[in-house]
Amino acid sequence: MTVQTEPDQRRPEVAELEHAWHERPSLRTWLSTVDHKRIGRRYMVTAGVFFAIAGVDAIIMRTQLSRPNNGLVTPEEFNQLFTMHGTAMIFLFATPMFFGFGNFLVPLMVGARDMAFPRLNAFGYWVFLGAGSVMFISQFAGAAPDGGWFAYVPLTDRPYSPGRNLDVYALGLLFLGVSTTIGAINFIVTALKMRAPGMSLNRVPLFVWAMVGTSFMVVFALPALNLANAMLFLDRRFGTHFFDPTHGGNSLLWQHLFWVFGHPDVYIIVMPALGIVSSVLPGFCRRGVAAYPLMVLALVTIAIISFGVWVHHMFATGLPFLSYSFFSAASTLITIPSGIQIFAWLATMLRGRIIAGVPFLFAVGFIVNFVLGGFTGVMFAMTVFDQQVTDSYFVVAHFHYVLFGGAVFPLLAGVYYWLPKFTGRMFHNGLGKWAFWLVFIGFNTTFFPMHVSGLLGMPRRVYTYPTGLGWDPWNLLATIGAYVLALGLILVATGVVQAIRRGPAAPDDPWGADTLEWATSSPPRPYNFAVIPQVHSLHPVWDERSREAMATGDVLAGHRAVLTSELDGDREGPVEMPESSLLPFAAALGLLFVVLGLLWGQYWLAVLAAFAVFITLARWLWPPHRTPEEAGVAREGRAP
Amino acid sequence: MDPTETSPRARRVGGGLLWFAALGGALSWTVHLFVAWATDELACASGHTTLAGFPVKGVVTIGVVLPALVAAAALATAWLAWRRTSAAAGEDDPRMGRAALLAVVGLAANTLFLAIIIAGGVSLLVFSACQR
Amino acid sequence: MTASPPPPGTLRQATRADALATEMPVGRTRGWWGMVFLIATEATVFALLLGSYFYLRFQSGRHWPPPGIEKPELTKAIIMTILLLPSSLPVVWAERGIRRGQPWRLRLGLSLTLIQGLLFLSVQASEYATNLKKFTITTDVYGSLFYATTGFHGFHVTIGLVMVAWLLAASLRGSFGARHHDRVTIVALYWHFVDIVWAFIFMSLYLSPRL
Ligand code: HEM
Ligand SMILES: [Cu+2]
Repeated sequence: MTVQTEPDQRRPEVAELEHAWHERPSLRTWLSTVDHKRIGRRYMVTAGVFFAIAGVDAIIMRTQLSRPNNGLVTPEEFNQLFTMHGTAMIFLFATPMFFGFGNFLVPLMVGARDMAFPRLNAFGYWVFLGAGSVMFISQFAGAAPDGGWFAYVPLTDRPYSPGRNLDVYALGLLFLGVSTTIGAINFIVTALKMRAPGMSLNRVPLFVWAMVGTSFMVVFALPALNLANAMLFLDRRFGTHFFDPTHGGNSLLWQHLFWVFGHPDVYIIVMPALGIVSSVLPGFCRRGVAAYPLMVLALVTIAIISFGVWVHHMFATGLPFLSYSFFSAASTLITIPSGIQIFAWLATMLRGRIIAGVPFLFAVGFIVNFVLGGFTGVMFAMTVFDQQVTDSYFVVAHFHYVLFGGAVFPLLAGVYYWLPKFTGRMFHNGLGKWAFWLVFIGFNTTFFPMHVSGLLGMPRRVYTYPTGLGWDPWNLLATIGAYVLALGLILVATGVVQAIRRGPAAPDDPWGADTLEWATSSPPRPYNFAVIPQVHSLHPVWDERSREAMATGDVLAGHRAVLTSELDGDREGPVEMPESSLLPFAAALGLLFVVLGLLWGQYWLAVLAAFAVFITLARWLWPPHRTPEEAGVAREGRAP
Repeated sequence: MDPTETSPRARRVGGGLLWFAALGGALSWTVHLFVAWATDELACASGHTTLAGFPVKGVVTIGVVLPALVAAAALATAWLAWRRTSAAAGEDDPRMGRAALLAVVGLAANTLFLAIIIAGGVSLLVFSACQR
Repeated sequence: MTASPPPPGTLRQATRADALATEMPVGRTRGWWGMVFLIATEATVFALLLGSYFYLRFQSGRHWPPPGIEKPELTKAIIMTILLLPSSLPVVWAERGIRRGQPWRLRLGLSLTLIQGLLFLSVQASEYATNLKKFTITTDVYGSLFYATTGFHGFHVTIGLVMVAWLLAASLRGSFGARHHDRVTIVALYWHFVDIVWAFIFMSLYLSPRL
């Protein structure tokens, strides 16, 4: 495909555009940028670092568990290790990583020049960085959360958990929640208002649907976690009794609130990954994903049903059978939309011409592991079985198949797939293949044996175990697997660094894929598209008319973007986009001090910092001065 | 008035109907889950088998049957909307194409939600209200 | 008028492909949508808070409030309701005014709302002053719920008032008119939300224990 999709860089309009969007590299622009691509890359790098730290936690745990009666870490340290590992993987790695992908890709895929709220986007990143830093620094200070990633009360309430550890958990997650909520709203509004003209809902790429579905889940699920954490903090610090049965409270309230959030959260993590798989396959099968409407259906219904299944995490807590069965029905039938996706991917592969590139390998690896994880998941939906294996290593195996298999494999597929777009460099193919096989084999060697040790009765969250229970070989095997897995992941990181350092320059569209991010340069210019695309089909880059419109259309001048209508993508007109600003950074810094003030019990600091945040926000949103004519003020009762 | 022209009111109703076709099943399932679960759980936890004079099981049954009927209505609407809009959708017609997508998604979604409501409701035949 | 066949009924017309494909919602601004979703997520918090209230209440035995605490005092709560609920009207009136390019209506309406909101907060403060003598946030779960819920709402009223005051300041400087009033619409949305939530809190926390 050689038809040009970009206008000539030497045209004077394009030179003017370059000037309007240019950011001089300096510390100031580094702190003040609102470019979604820079913010997206930052999200990914930061989340990658957090993944590495949480991975080291996991390796330490596996080393400790490699043989019975090992004494590498104390029980207290082990508690912090698995809690921080789980909490960080879920909250500080998975969601922010996909938000990074979304940040970089959603505006490009819908043919926009930036997110709907670029400054809020910058703010969201800084808040995420602050929250992650607070939580990880607590680990180095030996005061990390230690009540498991779901922090069940009463264990995590006073007096059973003195110390700052769980205050860090509650406040850190509340702080992070600000970032996640803002990011989610930004994705939704971007997808609603910033799509290129002609991109009606039936032409929206599946990855964008997935990010929007994820964001809807965040908007309605995260409040439950935030409320639970606020109550926990109040209980611990100010002596309220929400979870305290001696004063009319109820510990189960925590479980309800946590899982109202927690189950959708599994899908919040996995859904963007599903979107990545749907993006990767077309490029390597030379055809669009089969059954597009059913794929949309699957994403939408999963997002909705995920709210109705929370009680299945508490099958062991003794509620009436009848109310169980309503949830059981939802838990069982939610597998149908997931199954639809799997079959659509298989159909895509069967009917396409496959090119087994590295991203494709990871996508297939995902399907294999995810199906296994889904299979054990269906087993849990059967209450009887669930009661047998709850809190055993079988569960640990299951959720790693879902979370690692379902999120990290697609993530790695996405890393290789979009690396040319992110960095403008190609990766080394051989290195990538090695990394895939090491990760795939390492992953299965780590987690498959855990099914067995779980069925043999090994409980989760034990810092060691006696010998002679038949668990020893399975644990050793899992530990060996973990090292192989780590090696594979290091190879992935090496491949990325090697590509950035020495990789050959990437063409604009190395895979011959179908979505709009491939219709611009690698890496994209700050304004993404000189000509705002006019979209004529679901696969604009494969479609003659859309390509021609991009090559011959008028350049949209100035620091502006185009708004379109919500459902049909009718052009509404250009709008000015916000310039870079230090205010988002300042506001996030202020919020950090609010959190630290609360954490240390220095409430004056919290109040002061909150005040500073308000001032910053007021300044940020302050409307420009306008003359009465500009604003449209009526004179003498006449409407303007 | 030209009989072929659609009145603004009819347009609003039509737009609303399409949303009902797309999301009606999801909404009725939400209501069903909330009503059926909350009644059963709270009544049993406080040790009652009646709620303001009605047997708990009766209330739960209503919480199953009514939403199921609404979901079925949404299913029928989606079917109609899908037939009409997909017949009208041309080659490069974003508006009609979008409407057809929402309708066909609704068609499948309403079927799924109806199935979930029924599958959960069947247990009414098996369990008594507060059996544990 | 020429005789023409009667137009088909609304439902008939509405089920034509053309009507079904009406784009709805349409033409809102980014800011409007942003506020709608912010409200959605905040409304979820309040819904869960009230859900927690009923969850704990139904599990806490015969007496609610628990023995030792009287049923909530209604007089002040009713005054608060009378102050807050109608405070949305001046906002609506102000917003309509600015759409027609009449900044004076915007300023007047916002000032009225500001006064009503401030009065609401002062009555709430005096209610707290009397209540705190009888029970506090640490007395039992009833106290925790009562103060957390009303306090959280009071906090939202405060934020809403800051927004209204900020808007008033901006309107005195002359930023709004018939062509530019997005921020007014957005703040108005938030204020209506704060307002409606109070109705739910009033019914749940004050009225329902007396039923
Ligand atoms: C890098 C490879 C990984 C290894 C070797 C690993 C290993 C482990 C181990 C040994 C445990 C502790 C089990 C216990 O003592 O009960 C654990 C727990 C957990 N892991 Fe991983 N894991 C990995 C990746 C991930 C990823 C990518 C995620 C999520 C996205 C994740 C989420 C969790 C969660 C939520 C827990 C539960 C923590 C708790 O019990 O509170 N893990 N993992
Ligand atoms: Cu779940």
